[in-house]
Amino acid sequence: MSLEASLRAIVGDTHVLVRPAELIVYESDGLPGYHRRPSLAVFPASADEALRVVRALAQHGVPFVPRGAGTGLSGGALADGTVLLGLQRMKRILEIDPVRRIARVEPGVVNATLTRAATPFGLHYAPDPSSQTACTLGGNLAENAGGPHCLKYGVTLNHVVGAVVALPDGEVVTLGDTTVDSDAGGYDLLGAFVGSEGCFGVVLELTVKLTPNPERIVTLLADFTSLNDAAETTSAIIAAGILPAALEMMDQATIGAVESSIYAAGYPTDAAAVLLVEVDGAAAGLDDDVQAVDRICRAHGARDVRIATEPAARARLWQGRKKAFGAMGRIAPHLVVQDAVVPRTKLPALLAQIAVIGERHRVRVCNVFHAGDGNLHPNIPYDAGDADESARVHLAMQEIMGACIDAGGTITGEHGVGLDKLAYMDRLFTPDTLDGMCRLRDVFDPDRRANPGKVVPVRFCREWKAPEGQTVDGRRQTVDARADGVERTAYRVPPLDKETP
Amino acid sequence: MTRPTTLQELAELISASATRAQPLRIIGRGTWLDGGAPVRADAEPVHLDAFSGIIEYEPGDLTITVGAATTLAELDAVTAPHNQWCPLLPWGGDAGSVGATIATASAGPYSRALGSPRDLVLGLECVDGTGKVLRPGGKVVKNVAGFDLTRLMTGAWGTLGVLTRASLRLRARPAVDETWAVPLDADDASLPERIGAFSRGRTPPIACETLDAARAALLGLDVRPHLLVRLGGNAAFVAAACAAVATLGHAVIADERLWRALREAPRAAVIRPAMSSGVRTLNERIKKAFNPADVLNPGIMG
Repeated sequence: MSLEASLRAIVGDTHVLVRPAELIVYESDGLPGYHRRPSLAVFPASADEALRVVRALAQHGVPFVPRGAGTGLSGGALADGTVLLGLQRMKRILEIDPVRRIARVEPGVVNATLTRAATPFGLHYAPDPSSQTACTLGGNLAENAGGPHCLKYGVTLNHVVGAVVALPDGEVVTLGDTTVDSDAGGYDLLGAFVGSEGCFGVVLELTVKLTPNPERIVTLLADFTSLNDAAETTSAIIAAGILPAALEMMDQATIGAVESSIYAAGYPTDAAAVLLVEVDGAAAGLDDDVQAVDRICRAHGARDVRIATEPAARARLWQGRKKAFGAMGRIAPHLVVQDAVVPRTKLPALLAQIAVIGERHRVRVCNVFHAGDGNLHPNIPYDAGDADESARVHLAMQEIMGACIDAGGTITGEHGVGLDKLAYMDRLFTPDTLDGMCRLRDVFDPDRRANPGKVVPVRFCREWKAPEGQTVDGRRQTVDARADGVERTAYRVPPLDKETP
Repeated sequence: MTRPTTLQELAELISASATRAQPLRIIGRGTWLDGGAPVRADAEPVHLDAFSGIIEYEPGDLTITVGAATTLAELDAVTAPHNQWCPLLPWGGDAGSVGATIATASAGPYSRALGSPRDLVLGLECVDGTGKVLRPGGKVVKNVAGFDLTRLMTGAWGTLGVLTRASLRLRARPAVDETWAVPLDADDASLPERIGAFSRGRTPPIACETLDAARAALLGLDVRPHLLVRLGGNAAFVAAACAAVATLGHAVIADERLWRALREAPRAAVIRPAMSSGVRTLNERIKKAFNPADVLNPGIMG
């Protein structure tokens, strides 16, 4: 039986897509600018179906790309002529245990849906990417997703306690342990798997920690006439021993975009920057921390500090931050989103450098980011149809990333490498380290069929089995080094049953 | 016995040992020599004390990079003047090295509240079993660049790579930091549940350990079961937490040094659960990928 026929037999005809018009939906993720069309998309409804799909793919030796909601920001969930394995139909919450404070879920459960389900128990799922109303927990695990509240509560890695995983060869393994605090034997396979960007296998089920809702939450908005003052304030708050739940910064360009959009949050449009600081926890002592943050902001030049305690007022302050990327759609049709991290004390210098780089290349950088973590998101809205502007944007981004690496930082704090940051990997890591990463991938996926060509540039995988132009098991695989230095592996699946009209 | 002093010497030593199939026993400060299962008897001891000291410390970033053989005591002494600490203070005391703490993924009384090595290690430098130097992760607090060799090496007992450097996340020391000892009424059947509710409640402690009578006596407390609690936060928070502790029994303020004594007290060995066949296969493949000649601490993981 052909692969397509096998897949149709497993999931049903309506859940296998092969027509170009249907597949076009899946050729991008949340990062406009990359387009790779899968040859087929398959959508299993259960762990059993997903496993049978993985086994059929293994049997046919066909590469595939797991995908959740497609909200990723690195081009990671794009299948270039290969099979796209969509997991969003697997959206059952299997168990919520309010005593042990854990939830067992299928990978397609939306992040915010789990929090809603946990609310009656006074619990929530802590990692909160800005896409939380759409992104899936399986995708969060694959990307080791972050979010504003990770400053205090930690990233996805710190909240996943176990996962049932289908390896690309069809073997099922349980990684980690579903009992919190257990000492699982052997190596930390779960730790290695979290953040592996779909290259190590497919999550069939995951067990995550639920976090008690804080007794009290206060959100502050501090408004600065200098970007530098806002950046200095960030370090001062942390240095004072206060660990806010979130500490976010938005610059004037971002504020302008938000305030002219439907997401207007009442930010002062004449401010050079605003800090959004959230303090949460026990009611006892919380007001002392709020007052301390207020004092530190004013001492560092804040014109005004607004304090919101009511849920509606707090939600309004957050709305602009959470929807900032969307609001940038008003400025230009395309957006480059970056995700670099620098040591927090380097933020003032880096923001100044970014401004200079932006001016030199005549591009408009909008900074909206997790200042408390030093996790920058310098975003540039642009028109991809304008070749000159696109080239300038590309150059500016390269320089910004270079500056972050030179400052001792990294190229991605929470979005993943995917396709978008491949070109920076060898600036950050030695060839031996990249080779070590390839060796780890080969442990889980010796055939390199899961999300091929992502995360580590192919040329660093020394034992790459199929040099350019060679044929492996009847499949042609080429390595294409583009002028931009980004290599792409182009797999071609065997001819599918032709049903296309 | 060998005592390499540079990264290159160490890499050459491991590479040569792999070629000769000469097993090595990796020693940081020598406090974890008996880590459960013994390293093969013919392994040559390799002392790493040259890989010691503070490499980079910027207090404003709340991160630090140290040589792997740096002792926990030194780490504590360097960060304390800045009102910071690394809560990676595992069972076993402060004479051990940072590298061994990471390699053994050792938890301590503060791990539940403040994180274990898995949560607090930001990046590593290590030499794998083929003599290659790997530098995964980094020194920033959020980093998802590349596959996570840092997590792989953490808890691998040195069998995949010899750690030479580590970057760690630090924490600010709480403004108020109090240790309380609560003698427990052994006849009160509701106590375990109430202690659980307290430790997971509104005012969570930094550490909370139940001691049996013998252990309490070892720490110089009355010979009866005790709850030892460490509270940290601002004054109002700690006052509220104290009130919660007082509902569990007659709490008395205690010396913070009790924690160190408790960490140094002997403990039962951790029993490693059995692995499923799929997990065992992955473990074997990992060993083969990073330590194909099985020369690094052979036998130590059982």
